[in-house]
Parts: sequence; C-alpha cells; structure tokens
Amino acid sequence: MTEADRAGDRIERTIEVQGIATHLFEAGPPTAPPLLYLHGTHLGNLWLDHHRLLAQQFHLFAPDIPGFGLSERPDWMHDMSDYVLYFRDLMAALGLERAALVGHSLGGWMAAEIAVWYPERVSRLVLSNAAGLRVKGVPMADIFALSPQRLLETCFENLMAAAPLIPREINTDYFVRLYAERTTLAALAWNPHYDPKLARRLQQLSCPTLIVWGARDRLIPPAYGQEWQRLIPGAQLVMLEGTGHMPMFEVCEQWVAHVSAFLQPSQPQEVKSS
Amino acid sequence: MSRPRLTFHYFHLMPWPDLPPDFDEKYDSAWVTLPNSIYDPEKGHALYNRYFDELERADKLGWDSVCVNEHHQNAYGTMPSPNIMAAVLTQRVKRARIGIIGNALPLHDDPLRVAEEIAMLDVISGGRIISGFVRGTGMEYFSYNINPTLSRERMNEAHDLIIQAWTRPGPFSFEGEHYNYRYVNIWPRPLQKPHPPIWMPGTASLETIDFAAAHRYPYMTVFMPMEQRKRAYELYRRLAEEKYGYEAQPEQLAFCVPIAIAETDDLAMKEGERYMMWLFQKAMKVPTEFFMPPGYMSLRSIRAAIENRASFGFGNTTFKELVEQGVVIAGSPATVIEKLSYYTEVLHAGMLVTGGCTDGMPDYLVLKHQEMMAREVMPYFRQQELPPEPRPVEIHSEQH
Repeated sequence: MTEADRAGDRIERTIEVQGIATHLFEAGPPTAPPLLYLHGTHLGNLWLDHHRLLAQQFHLFAPDIPGFGLSERPDWMHDMSDYVLYFRDLMAALGLERAALVGHSLGGWMAAEIAVWYPERVSRLVLSNAAGLRVKGVPMADIFALSPQRLLETCFENLMAAAPLIPREINTDYFVRLYAERTTLAALAWNPHYDPKLARRLQQLSCPTLIVWGARDRLIPPAYGQEWQRLIPGAQLVMLEGTGHMPMFEVCEQWVAHVSAFLQPSQPQEVKSS
Repeated sequence: MSRPRLTFHYFHLMPWPDLPPDFDEKYDSAWVTLPNSIYDPEKGHALYNRYFDELERADKLGWDSVCVNEHHQNAYGTMPSPNIMAAVLTQRVKRARIGIIGNALPLHDDPLRVAEEIAMLDVISGGRIISGFVRGTGMEYFSYNINPTLSRERMNEAHDLIIQAWTRPGPFSFEGEHYNYRYVNIWPRPLQKPHPPIWMPGTASLETIDFAAAHRYPYMTVFMPMEQRKRAYELYRRLAEEKYGYEAQPEQLAFCVPIAIAETDDLAMKEGERYMMWLFQKAMKVPTEFFMPPGYMSLRSIRAAIENRASFGFGNTTFKELVEQGVVIAGSPATVIEKLSYYTEVLHAGMLVTGGCTDGMPDYLVLKHQEMMAREVMPYFRQQELPPEPRPVEIHSEQH
C-alpha cells in the first residue's frame, strides 16, 4: 500500500463532545502534523478532493460543525463563544494539544476565534474566504436573502464544480435540512454578521497565518482578505485568480498547494500571489 | 349578556397601490427592497386620510370594530406604527372598538413601550382597544434586522411582560432572557379589566395556534385557503380540548377574508377580479427567503409549510380560484351570507375580519361594499344570539 492509498483510507466516526455527537472524517498518516479543517456553511459531511489531498501530507481531522452535516446543534449553542469552547474540547477529545487550523468561510471565522482565545493550541492558521470581519463600505452579500440556487451562483464561478453539493433527490427533507443549517448560521451571524471585537483582538495574534482568497469572491469580497492580512501581524495573503468563494472546489490543486506549502515547516515556502 | 353569532371587524391594511407599470418585470418583491422612491408623500397624505374616512364610515355603519396592523418597508401596508393609527382612530371612531392586530412584539427591543401605548390608547378610547400580538412577517426580520431565530422566544417573553405590566401592581422587576427591567410600573394602566382583549393572527406556525389556545385568545386565520383554515381550527380545538381542558368557543376562531359583495354574483366576481388581485399578485409578491427567514419557523412548522406548499403570495392563482379555495368570498348578499354561514355553522368560527380598500378601488364602490355588508349581511347574523363570552385565562409561559 502506498502512502497515498493509506492517506485516502479515511476513517468516518462520531465522537461525543459537550454532549454533542460530532461526526467527523479522519485521514492521513498519524505521524504527520495534525490539521483541523473547519468547513463553511452547508459544507459539512463532505469528503472531497481537497480533503484527500490534504490528507496525503497531514493527519487531517474534518468534523461537521454542530448544526451542519451530521452533527446536531443543541438549543443552548447559539453564539460564537459556545463554538470556541466546543472546539477547545473537541481538540482535547481528539488528543490535539496543538494543531494547524484551516478554516473556510464560517469555519474560517471560527478558526480565527480559536486562535484568539487559545493561541497555544494553534500552530499555524489558514483562513480561506473567511467570515467574521466587517469592512465598512464593502458589504458581504446577504446570504439569508439568497435562494439555494442564487447562493450557488454567487459562491461558484464554475457551477460544474458545485456538483458535490447537489443532492440526489430534492425533497422536503432536503429543504428542511437546508433550513436547519441556515438557522444555525442565523443564530451566529444574523446581526451582527461579524464579531465587532475580532479586529482589535487579531492584532495580538502571533501564530503564522496565511490568508487565501478567490479574487472573484462575490459573497465575501476580496477586500476582506486584505483586511485579514492587514490586521494579523505577519499574515501572508494569496489571491487566487479565476475563482471566487469556493477555491477548494474550483482550483483545488492550486489551493491545496498553497495551504500545504505554508503548513509544512520543513519545506521551503513558495507561496506567491498568482 | 348575549352576543351575536358573528361579529364584524373592518380591517384596513392601508396599502400603497400606486406601483409602477413595470413592477412585475422589474421588482421581485413588494417588501424589504422595493425602492421607497415609489412612495409619494403628497399622494400619501390624501390616501391616509381617505383610509381614515373609510374606517370612520365603518363605525357609523355599525361594524363592531375597525382594525389596523403593523408592517414595515413595503407597499402592502403602510402602517409601521399601528399605535399612531389607533390614536388617530380614537378621535374619529366614536362607537366601535379599535383593533390593533397587531403589534409585532419581537421586532421591538422595548416591549414595555407597547404596554404603555396600548394602555394610553385604552384609557383615551374609554376601553375600546383590542390588542393583537403578532411576530411580524418574515420580511420584517430583514427590514428591522432582528434575529429570526429569537422570534418565538422574544414573542412569548414580550407577551408575558406586557400582560404583567397591565395586571400586576407596580413597581415590580421582570427578569427575562431577552427583556430585563428593574422597574415595571406603567402609567397609565389600561382601562379594561383584566386587560384589553388579545387576538392572535397567524399564517402557518403551529406554535402560534398552541399559544393562542393555551391562553384562550382568539386565533385569526389570515388569507389562506379553506383547507388550511380548517386544519388550523381543528388544531386549535383539539389543543383546547385535549391539552388545555376546555371547549373552544366561536369567538375564539376568527377569519380574515376579503369579501367582494355586489348586487349579483357576476358583478361581485367582476369587481373582485378587478380590485382584489392587486393584493394577491402584487402586494404579496415576496421571495420565499424573505417570507421564511431561518429560525422564524420551527422545523416542525417549516416541514408542514413545505408539505402544504404554504407561501405568502398566491402567484398566478386566478380570482376564480381564490374564491373556490375560500381565500376570498365574492357574491351577492345571499351568497355572502351562505359562505359566512359555513364558517358560523360548520366551523363554528364567530369573528369575521374583512374590508379595507386595496387596489385604488373608487370610494363610491368601497362605500357600497361597506353598506351592503352592514345592511344586508350583518342583520342576518345578529338575529340569533349566543350566551356570553368567556374570559381569557392568565397563564404565563414562565415566571419572570
């Protein structure tokens, strides 16, 4: 069995954290550096190319954030502090004293908060098209006003890349699940849709940080990528051309190459703005 | 005291009917995002006063109440502050009750203000206020940027606060999850005892029906097909009987139904088609995402809503179909009496909420509708009377 095959051999399991049955994928060599991947809204319970590729080099943990995928959200869990404490306990339950955090969109917001509150647990931080900030005069799209179809059109430059998100059957269950996931997002991000205190707190971060963004992001415009870079000391920014909010779907290999290069401390870093 | 089989409540939305000719093509919503440049304050001045005249006439013609409600940033109803409208009505309407159906409680960060304003209105009007409580439409959670996931909790808590403010001797403290006051001690207190009657209009949420049944508040079905109304009343009755241990009375079941009435069925159909479709096809044009924001409905209710294909608007439904489905009533006085009798005799629902000019109907026609209802329909239902109505019960979802 080659290294790649073994890496592709994912484990799917459920662990109990704060009473929440948390569904997660785990893959990659156990001896490789640990990586906790936090997905964006509606992107739980997926095992796709970017997961597989990351698992070739890292010991990857990809949980479904409570309220998404197969992890339920209890009623008491409705603000960011609940999630930060939950992830602290999830990392402990997974035996991750310290890990690289890679977060996309809503997951990026959560990753940044975890780095603010538990800096000792975060070795390196990657934020891709992350929510969590406000840039005055550059509004994010109102995700709650978008139909499922319009949301896909806003997130994807190439709708073919959205294929893994299209359910086999569009029925009542599908709509109810979508509504439940949107409800989780609304609980966290209806008003305010960002953390008003985060901008100031990010300036205290010392962990190496990479910001990756799709240059055509119409949900969270590229100005937000620039703002993350401006606020986090020493952060690098990679702007990927030809893609928008979903670079790991649309330019997967390129996205993974940037993330991997940044996270592998042993390798020379060759991250360039493209 | 006895009471009639059916009471008549004249409800106005005070819409802005003057939409641009390219509205259908150019705008996907009459709410939230419809540019307010379409509103003309000069015309608005005349329109508001015309609408008030209409309500004043309803009073003189013998309607039991005149009603207003709260909506924001839309062309469907231009009464963002229903209590201001009610204040005007206390000076114009001398006999009928004045219904505010209702104040959208969760939209307000300070529900004590609602308690105060209703108390003021009740005192000013000599105890004629009906106080409806609603959550507001989904659209309003966008317009006011209130988190819809907290809507139900805020509704229940604001309700408890207001009832306590009206009925408990102050000062006392209120300790809620969303609302906290060290000093609840409203001046004035309402005139009616124990407090003004409360109504609960509803569209699709099962929880609202349960809440209304628990408190014995009248539940009002709004613009919905007969099948949906029946399901709502059946649920209310069942909850009343099995969960709360009483038999629901006709005055607990209200129905909001637009009525086109004319000398003949044909004429009523023609007038209805011409003047009512604006409401259903334009004023209620709203994308689903605005109508059902996340968390506004429970998963149980959203499932039921999807399965029943519930929506705010009625899309391409024709007027004839709206009549057949029981969303609206159209016909001669005899036909209207027959249709209303189905509510009173079969469904045992005893409060009709209707009226209100919508699409720029000429005033003489509005007057004709009001008069025909008052002179040819009301008397029929006032001949036979029922025993006195029961009191609401005081229960609160939690002690605060």
